[in-house]
Amino acid sequence: MTELSCGYGDDRDEAIVAFLYDDAEGSPADQARFETHLQTCARCRADVAALRGVRAQLARWSPPEPSFAVRTPQSAIRNPPWWRDIPAWAQVAAALLFLGVSAGVANLDVRYDHNGLSIRTGWSTRPGGSGEAGGAGRSGATKVAQDQQASGGGTAPWRADLAALERQLKTEFRASQASAMTAPAQTVRAVSATDADVIRRVRALVEDSEKRQQRELALRIAGLLRDVNAQRQADLVKIDRTLGVVQNSVGIEVMKNRQQLNQMDLLYRASQKQ
Amino acid sequence: MTWTDEELVAKSIRGDADSFNELVLRWERPIYALAYRTIGREEDARDVCQETFLRAFRALPGFRGQAKFSSWLYRIALNLCRDWIRRERRAPVVQPPEDVDLIELAAAAEPSESIEDLVARKDLMRLVEHAMALLPEEQRTAIVLKEYHGLTFQEIAELVGCPLSTVKTRLYQGLIVLRRELSKNRRATR
Repeated sequence: MTELSCGYGDDRDEAIVAFLYDDAEGSPADQARFETHLQTCARCRADVAALRGVRAQLARWSPPEPSFAVRTPQSAIRNPPWWRDIPAWAQVAAALLFLGVSAGVANLDVRYDHNGLSIRTGWSTRPGGSGEAGGAGRSGATKVAQDQQASGGGTAPWRADLAALERQLKTEFRASQASAMTAPAQTVRAVSATDADVIRRVRALVEDSEKRQQRELALRIAGLLRDVNAQRQADLVKIDRTLGVVQNSVGIEVMKNRQQLNQMDLLYRASQKQ
Repeated sequence: MTWTDEELVAKSIRGDADSFNELVLRWERPIYALAYRTIGREEDARDVCQETFLRAFRALPGFRGQAKFSSWLYRIALNLCRDWIRRERRAPVVQPPEDVDLIELAAAAEPSESIEDLVARKDLMRLVEHAMALLPEEQRTAIVLKEYHGLTFQEIAELVGCPLSTVKTRLYQGLIVLRRELSKNRRATR
């Protein structure tokens, strides 16, 4: 290809750019000079045309749509807590839910009677207060059973264990009291044996409870995984079905096109024969 | 009533937070676009955009109106982009072309645009992006500021701190490189 020559001068590049961008800041005399030159210079005309093409291509480049709104600097500086965005009613509901769950977990027992306000937490059984009808005369096991009923029945098997333990402790305590009356020398041995037994049983209960919690957690995780997998399978089936529909419609279009082509081919052959 | 940038700046300095929010809303997209075209990464462009407004807000009391507010913002954003490029020690990233996602494509289509036109437009955008990434930083900045933000040669010269004739030369050289690269790539894709 023959390289066209141009005798415009050293500022040719700047003149082309100024012309290309219709530079209103440049001197009108310079612009007029370049426009006159352009009429006679094929190389500059070719350059201007090519660079206009580049500009047209550049105009098609747009950045991806930002998936954000700039967090205003005030908010960034003040850094308000995220929960400010949550409606007040939802905050109240969440607080109530939290309190309810906490109370359930801590076995919270709040009562207000003529003895005043009393709050109890933990797994201890309620004392037989005078405010509780017939409570004072009942055994601990009965009270535990009452609690069980009040809290929804046999959903907490440890309650029965605790009741049994309490029953046994009382029996042993009475037995040790009776033996103390008859054989004072054996008292120390019997009490120490009872303590060791109690500690062993409590340990066993705690271990049992921990195992049960671990089992429940494992079951919940397994259930969650099963749900996720089921959802995934359902999604895959949906995608497959959608793809099948698309493929069918494409296949139908292709068949139609083929039929049309065959018909055209037949027509063409028929016209050739005539 | 529409306030000018300078009026909003004055109100912001007096403590009117809404005025600065208005400035953010007005300029967040141009600043993001400038950052994206300069560094080529969407996520980092967003960070640069965020940081630009944060710095502008902090430095607002010192802004005396010696330049247009937009030029001042551009300067902050360009400095941040330059820092990013130096920190990363690399040219702008060209995000690798991913497999064509028909759903995404269909969603991006203009109402009057056929799927073929859309694919062609996406291809061209990728080519331009790739070609721009090959330019030296100074040429790329000059082209981005002139082509996409419509700054005058004088404004660009003041922003990047070089003579006006240098800006024009950088533009010309950049355009010539783009011309070569784009025609080369288009031949390769045919």
